[in-house]
Amino acid sequence: MNSDSDDPNMPEINAITADRLTKVYRDNIRAVDGISFSVKQGEIFGLLGPNGAGKTTTIKMIITLTKATSGTLHVLGVDVFKSPETVREMLGYVPQSISVDTDLTAYENLLIFSKLSYVDKMERNERIKDALEYMDLSSRAHDIVKRYSGGMMRRLEIAQALVNRPKILLLDEPSIGLDPSSKKQVWKNIKQLNQEFGVTILITTHDMNEADELCNRIAIMSEGKIAILGTPEELKRNVGGDIVTVNLTSVPSIMSLPKEIGRIINRNEKSIQILTTNGEEAIPLMADFFRGHEIRVESISINKANLDDVFMKYAKRRLEDDMYKATRITRRDFVRRAR
Amino acid sequence: MNIRRFLSSSITIAEMEARKIRHDSTELWTRIIQPALWLLVFGETLNTIRAMPSGNFSYIQFITPGILAQSVLFISIFYGITVVWEKDVGIFTKLLSTPSPRSSIVLGKSLAAGIRGVFQAIMIFALALIIGVKIRFDPLDIAGVFVVVILFAMCFSSFSMFLASYLKTRDRMMGIGQALTMPLFFASNAIYPIAVMPIWLQYISIANPLSYVVDAIRSMLLSGAYGNLLVDILVLLVATVIFLTLASTTIKKLLE
Repeated sequence: MNSDSDDPNMPEINAITADRLTKVYRDNIRAVDGISFSVKQGEIFGLLGPNGAGKTTTIKMIITLTKATSGTLHVLGVDVFKSPETVREMLGYVPQSISVDTDLTAYENLLIFSKLSYVDKMERNERIKDALEYMDLSSRAHDIVKRYSGGMMRRLEIAQALVNRPKILLLDEPSIGLDPSSKKQVWKNIKQLNQEFGVTILITTHDMNEADELCNRIAIMSEGKIAILGTPEELKRNVGGDIVTVNLTSVPSIMSLPKEIGRIINRNEKSIQILTTNGEEAIPLMADFFRGHEIRVESISINKANLDDVFMKYAKRRLEDDMYKATRITRRDFVRRAR
Repeated sequence: MNIRRFLSSSITIAEMEARKIRHDSTELWTRIIQPALWLLVFGETLNTIRAMPSGNFSYIQFITPGILAQSVLFISIFYGITVVWEKDVGIFTKLLSTPSPRSSIVLGKSLAAGIRGVFQAIMIFALALIIGVKIRFDPLDIAGVFVVVILFAMCFSSFSMFLASYLKTRDRMMGIGQALTMPLFFASNAIYPIAVMPIWLQYISIANPLSYVVDAIRSMLLSGAYGNLLVDILVLLVATVIFLTLASTTIKKLLE
């Protein structure tokens, strides 16, 4: 997919490298607070976090819409602050709100933005035609975009990326406000862009399913900092793994499980809960184990660790801490005023 | 900066606006109403009572260039609102995220204001023909008027975009637009000669680009006396370059 980067002699340049990147807004709000991360070429990298965690500000610094207060930022080795126009040439950007011009047709949107991105004149029309077909918009190419559905507008934005062929695509909450089927469609398109065209993708979201579905690696942000970074699997392992609940006719009072199955974390007279790294693989082992000990199993259910748990652990909890602090502060204010 | 890319981006932005006008030109047509009222009601009335010393020309002849300039001023001074609106819906963010230089986007937008201005001029010429206002329809002069109108629209639309970079909301832009248009209009030679103004207003009118625009258009459409034309166009050109440069450097603040 990315032949030149597979060359073992070439040291791979990161698609994006951020080092102690910080953005302080006017009222001393540290929207982004010294984050360091790198996005590898060819991967889908997710920035996750609750609203106000600093995801959008990070993206805006990369696409040069806002200046960082301190730190460094490189896109494919080019300094973002020194050569903003060169950097923008390598990037595609789909902002949170719909950014296609609704007073133009789909074709015109693609034409105008490909011209502004200096797509070669000879290739332009061919690419536009292909992108419209690929995104299933050919039949309505000459309709004013105003009459499109939200899902179609998003697809048009992805079509823009197809025409302009950026090396790296920045997607800010791409599936926000879409119905489930449009969302699935957009996910499919994002994966295709990545797999078929080798586009590196940086995506922000607060939807854990989306991150799990799309991303190779994820950084969870909270209050402008990266709380944790890793593959979805690593992060899930970090919250402890899957919980398998086994309902038995009777639970023997003394029972220990072999290590490879898991650890009992909870028990009562009818059921036990087992914590295990991989639920699906552990279930047959458990069935064999109980059969071997002549214990009848009534049912087994599995509760997969998901990114929601990770999110709660690393982002949400701090958020709640904060709200607690905030209420205490207002209460103190109130007391002061009452005096 | 690559000059070919810069120009191509500017023209593309203007093309974008032109395509939008082609899809829906209602706004352009409604813009003939106000100048028509000025000419038909105000102009005709003052023409009959002969209250204004309009020189060798009838009063309605005298104000036709003024009304043309005024209506182009209205189009341009509110141009920042379009940009604020585009920011609100996300198109502007998208424009600024393309590799095109930001100055080319400002230049393109101001060219688009120029296109609207030319359309306005054509409509006012048609109106003048219909109601029988005598103006010199010399092809070169008409072309000259178009050039002045385009420059003028570029000048004040970039001034408006410069203001928008700081004001950021449609309401504020609406307010400042209203607050600016009338003083600019009345402190110019659009509907009365500078000579009849009180002295203090005469000084203000000298610093008002609108006066130079009206003077230039008047010399081309009415008198054919080009004595001041070079100065008029030079002043306008300098003001346009200043505002374009200012707007180009400030426009990114609109997103902050």
